[in-house]
Amino acid sequence: MKISNKHAESLWGYLFILPSFALILIFVLYPVLSGVWYSLTEWNMISEPAFVGMANYSKIFNDGLALTTFSNTVVYTFLSVPIGICISLLLAVSLNQKIRGLPFYRTAYYLPVITSSVAVAIVFRWILDSNYGLLNQGLAIIGIDPIRWLLDPDIALYSLILVSVWRSLGLNLIIYLAALQDIPKDLYDAASIDGAGSIQSFFRITLPLVTPALFFTSITGVIGSFQAFDLVYNMTEGGPGHSTYLIGYYIWKQAFDYSRMGYGAALAFILFLVILVLTLVQWYARKSWVFGED
Amino acid sequence: MKSDPRNYSSSSSQLIRKTIAHILLISGAVFMVIPFVWSITTSFKALNQVFTTPPFHIPFPIDFSSYKEVLESISFAKYFFNTTKVALLVTLGQLLTSSLAGYAFARLKFPGRNFLFMAYLSTMMIPAVVTLIPNFVIMRNFGWVDTHYALIIPFLGSAYGTFLMRQFFLGMPSDLEDAAKLDGCNPLQFYLHILIPNSKPILATFGLMTFQWVWNDFQWPLIIINSDQNRTLQVGLAFLQNVNYTEWNVLMAASVMAILPIIILFLIAQKSFVQSIKLTGLKG
Repeated sequence: MKISNKHAESLWGYLFILPSFALILIFVLYPVLSGVWYSLTEWNMISEPAFVGMANYSKIFNDGLALTTFSNTVVYTFLSVPIGICISLLLAVSLNQKIRGLPFYRTAYYLPVITSSVAVAIVFRWILDSNYGLLNQGLAIIGIDPIRWLLDPDIALYSLILVSVWRSLGLNLIIYLAALQDIPKDLYDAASIDGAGSIQSFFRITLPLVTPALFFTSITGVIGSFQAFDLVYNMTEGGPGHSTYLIGYYIWKQAFDYSRMGYGAALAFILFLVILVLTLVQWYARKSWVFGED
Repeated sequence: MKSDPRNYSSSSSQLIRKTIAHILLISGAVFMVIPFVWSITTSFKALNQVFTTPPFHIPFPIDFSSYKEVLESISFAKYFFNTTKVALLVTLGQLLTSSLAGYAFARLKFPGRNFLFMAYLSTMMIPAVVTLIPNFVIMRNFGWVDTHYALIIPFLGSAYGTFLMRQFFLGMPSDLEDAAKLDGCNPLQFYLHILIPNSKPILATFGLMTFQWVWNDFQWPLIIINSDQNRTLQVGLAFLQNVNYTEWNVLMAASVMAILPIIILFLIAQKSFVQSIKLTGLKG
């Protein structure tokens, strides 16, 4: 009787995971493997895929534009993620001081997060418009000449970073606020009895205890930024020149605009490896700075 | 009573701290909200007014022509319907498959459970861009390109949702389950009659997250849908730029209309939204 109960429970277990397992198998795990296969072929989706070995991969290293897109993506990620983290941490700490108007602030900062990236891109294209944009109108009041935010190849990438930071603040803010609210108040009382000032308390108590949240947002931020597509597609299309060509956009361009599925798959796989390495580096480095991980 | 001099100084330094905090928060909030305000004011202007009137001024009488033009120049209602349909079906599907699997991983014992759960977790690390091309090929082989099947079926399962549900179910008291077992409930009956009715908060939270995510998704619908009649809202909005590249009033009106449903949903169910973010952050 007992054994048959056990069997029945196992059967129910398998039955319950079956739908989601089958879907993940077909649409996540199998595609990773078949993606590796496509990356070893030349394929325009009209003829059959032709096996070309590592040719797509060696092509990447001779493709100047691919290298440019990688370096643009690195700049984009390593500026937007840390800047976003610092500003939102500062705001979260400010918001955590029993301040009035918490619901208002939370709503205000969270609105950009739930707004679609396409709408964000269009609205910022308008805000950053060289002639009539709000930003240049504002700067004109304090006597600054119009800046060609999206038209100057030296500036456009930084304009995208600005938009990306704007959009990420609310998400980080809520995560940090939750972490801050979990810090026991006694710790601060004890520190102030020991004569610690507020700056000391921040660096000795607050900062260490939010490091797990910082760690999480840094990992997910890097993964997201490396795949950035929507803003590029809707704001700059990689231009002016190739100054805002990011790798996520380049993969789409190669695969779905030029029908080079094999090359696109190879680029995607390299991107996967880069993201994986960066995640592993952060994972192993966490022991040196994330609280409770040493 | 002895008065501690430190008390006085600490309350004045607290005042300074709070003032600085308010200044930071207010300037940040202005920076956050201004783009929305400007989109709305721009959307209520005629094109010539866009360039001649002060930025935040809405002229009287209010000009609704840009909204009218959006409705006339793209099949906005069609996109809206398509997006709502797809987002609702994906949300319901994910809730169902994730809660079933989450329950199995949290409460049922079966050989290979831990291994399978680790497999789920590892798929969460796979960036979407890696599966983009292969999934396109799958859709092509199934004959699903330019159909709503392609927008719905690949997204009905979610490793993340399963994980979230499992964590929630793990935290539920086990007395309920013991009592149900004594009454001769099988796992399906327990799931239907006890687990689901007692999990409304997490279901609402995860449902909102999914709905918002599908509503705003752009790259996949852009790739997989070709025809106007199957198009979703975000892609329609992006394509509007091709024809009305600098007709800012029209673009703003369309943007406002495309984000309004999610913003209304957010204002109604703010608690669940904020909860979803906390969950996202804490379960890292």
